[in-house]
Amino acid sequence: MSGPRILTAAWDEPESWSLARYRASGGYKSLPKALGMQPQQIVDEVVKANLRGRGGAGFPTGMKWNFVRKETSFPKYLVVNADEGEPGTFKDREILLRSPHMFLEGLIIGCYAVECHLTYVYCRGEFRQSAMQRLQSAVDEAYAEGFLGKNILGSGFDLEAHCVFGAGAYICGEETAMLESLEGRKGYPRLKPPFPANAGGGLFKQPTAVNNVETLANIPAIVEMGGEAFDKIGLVPKNGGTRLYAVSGHVKKPGVYEAPMGISFRKLLDDYCGGMRAGSTLKAIIPGGASSAILTAEEADWASDFDTLKAKKTMAGSGAVVYFDQSVNMAQALANIMRFFAHESCGQCTPCREGTAWLSRLLDKIVAGKGEKQDVDNVHQIARQMEMKTICALADGAAMPAKSYIDKFRADFDALVRG
Amino acid sequence: MIPLATKAGPAPSPFSPEQQKRFDAGLEKAVAKYPRERRKAALIAALHLVQDELGWLPEPAMAYVGDLLEVPPVRVREVATFYTMYRLRPVGRHHIGVCNSISCWAMGSTSVLRRCEEKLGIRPGETTRDGQFSLEEVACLAACGGAPALLVNNFTYLEKVTAESLDQLLADLGSQPGKQMAPAGAGSTETER
Repeated sequence: MSGPRILTAAWDEPESWSLARYRASGGYKSLPKALGMQPQQIVDEVVKANLRGRGGAGFPTGMKWNFVRKETSFPKYLVVNADEGEPGTFKDREILLRSPHMFLEGLIIGCYAVECHLTYVYCRGEFRQSAMQRLQSAVDEAYAEGFLGKNILGSGFDLEAHCVFGAGAYICGEETAMLESLEGRKGYPRLKPPFPANAGGGLFKQPTAVNNVETLANIPAIVEMGGEAFDKIGLVPKNGGTRLYAVSGHVKKPGVYEAPMGISFRKLLDDYCGGMRAGSTLKAIIPGGASSAILTAEEADWASDFDTLKAKKTMAGSGAVVYFDQSVNMAQALANIMRFFAHESCGQCTPCREGTAWLSRLLDKIVAGKGEKQDVDNVHQIARQMEMKTICALADGAAMPAKSYIDKFRADFDALVRG
Repeated sequence: MIPLATKAGPAPSPFSPEQQKRFDAGLEKAVAKYPRERRKAALIAALHLVQDELGWLPEPAMAYVGDLLEVPPVRVREVATFYTMYRLRPVGRHHIGVCNSISCWAMGSTSVLRRCEEKLGIRPGETTRDGQFSLEEVACLAACGGAPALLVNNFTYLEKVTAESLDQLLADLGSQPGKQMAPAGAGSTETER
C-alpha cells in the first residue's frame, strides 16, 4: 500500500475508535482552529479543496454549503447520510467503527460552517447495535469534552447532535427520501426543486446540507492542511483528496482502501488488493456501486474519479468497486442486480416500479434458460425507456447497468438464450 | 398481509408494566431528539421500540403508537409496511437474514442460503415449526468486504461465512432461548388479505 492516508491513518492501531487514541494522533486540533475562523473562510477552503460528495453524486461540497449559507431562512440543518446501502459499498460503516471521532470532528466543523445548531446522523437500522453504537459513544464523549452542546470550546457556538435510525430501505439513501424518513414517514423521494439546500426543500422545509459520512470525515484534514494542499492529493483536476475504495469480489484481499482520488482500477487491484484471487483472471469491474455501468477488463486502466467516469458514461458513485473473474456470467450478475432494484424501487414512479420489475422478470427468464434473443433486446429497450423519467435516480441506476452489461458482454446473454 | 379495521383514537397499551417502562424511556429519548412541534417524526423510532419489546408489530401496538404520537393509523401502517426491518407477523425467536446482493452473490451467498434451507428445513420467509428460527433473504448489508455476510437477529453481523461457521451459528442459536414473540391474534383486529 502506498500514498497518503488521511482517513485511515490510525485504523491499524488498537482501539482506533477511542477518543484518547484520536487525540493522540492529533485529533480535535482542527476544531478550535475552525472555530477561530469565519464560517465563510471554512467553506472557501472546502471549495478550494475540490472535495466532492462521497455518497455517490460527487457534488462539490463547498458549493453545496454555499447554497445553504446564501439562504436567509433559519434554522438551517446539516443532516448526515449514513444509510449506506448501495450494493458493494461498506466504507462508511468502517469509518463509524474505526474512526467515529474524525467523522464527528468534521461534522461539528461542517455545522459551524453552515450555521447549523441541530444536526442528525441518519443511519441504516441494521447498524444500530454495531457501527451506530460506536458513534453514539463517541457523541456522548464529545458532549462530555465540550465538543458538542452549548458554547463549544468557549466559542459561543452551540450544537446538538443526534443519531437516528432507518428501518431497512435502500431508497432512504436518496437524500430527499432520507429527509422524509427522518421526519417519520415512508421514504418516498421528493420532487425537486426545491432542493434540500434551499428553503422549502430540506428537513422540515428548512435549508439543509446533506452530506455523506466520508465527506465530513475529510473536513478536519482540510482545515488543518488547507484546501489547496488537500486538492493536490487527488490525481485528477477538480477531484481533491483521497477516497475510500470499498473493494469486494474475486480479489485476494477485499477491504476498504484509501488511495488518491482518481487512481486507476488496475493500480487499485494490483497495489492494494493483491491482484485477483488464485486462478482468477479479471473479467469485469463494477466501478462505483451496483448502479454504475460495468467496465471490461481492458478498461481497468481508466481513472476512478468522478469526471473521468462520467465522461465515459459510467460513474464513480459511492466508491464501491467489485472485481469479477471469469467464473461469472454477466447476465446472471445483472439478474441479481435487477432483483435488488425491483425489490427496492419505492413504487412512487411508474417507469421505475414497472420497469425494474419487468427487467427483473425478463432477466430471471433469461438466466433460467427460457429466454430468447428478443428478450435480451427487450431488456435493453425497456432500460432506455426508464431513463430520465422519474423523481429520483433509482431508475437510472437500474437502467445504466442493464444497458452496459448487454452492450459489453452480449455473448454472456446470447449463451443463455435460444434463437 | 395488510391489517385492516384500525380505529383512530385512544388505544390501550400492549405492554406489560416492565415493557412499558422501557418503551416509555425509549420514546421519551426519541421524541426529545426533535423540535417540540415535530414529535410525529419519532414514529420510526417508536416502531423500533415496539418491536424491541414484542418481537414484531401487532396491530394493537401500532394503534397505540399512532395514538401517542397523534399519527393517523393509515400513516402508521404506511410506515410499518414500507420498511423491511419491521415484522408484520411473528417470526422465529432467532432470525437469519442472508444477504443476496451482488458481492455476496459473487462469493457464494446462494450456497449459504441453500445450506440454511437444508439445515432448518424452511424456505426464505418461513419459520420453523418449533418457532426457533426464521429465514429471510436480505438486501445489501454494507458488509461486502466480508462477503458472504449474514445478519443475525436484525443487528448482529456474521461475515466471511463458511459452511463450518454457519453450522456453528445455527447450533449455538438452536440452544439459546432467543426473542420471545408476542402472540399473534391476541386482542388483534387483524385480517389477512
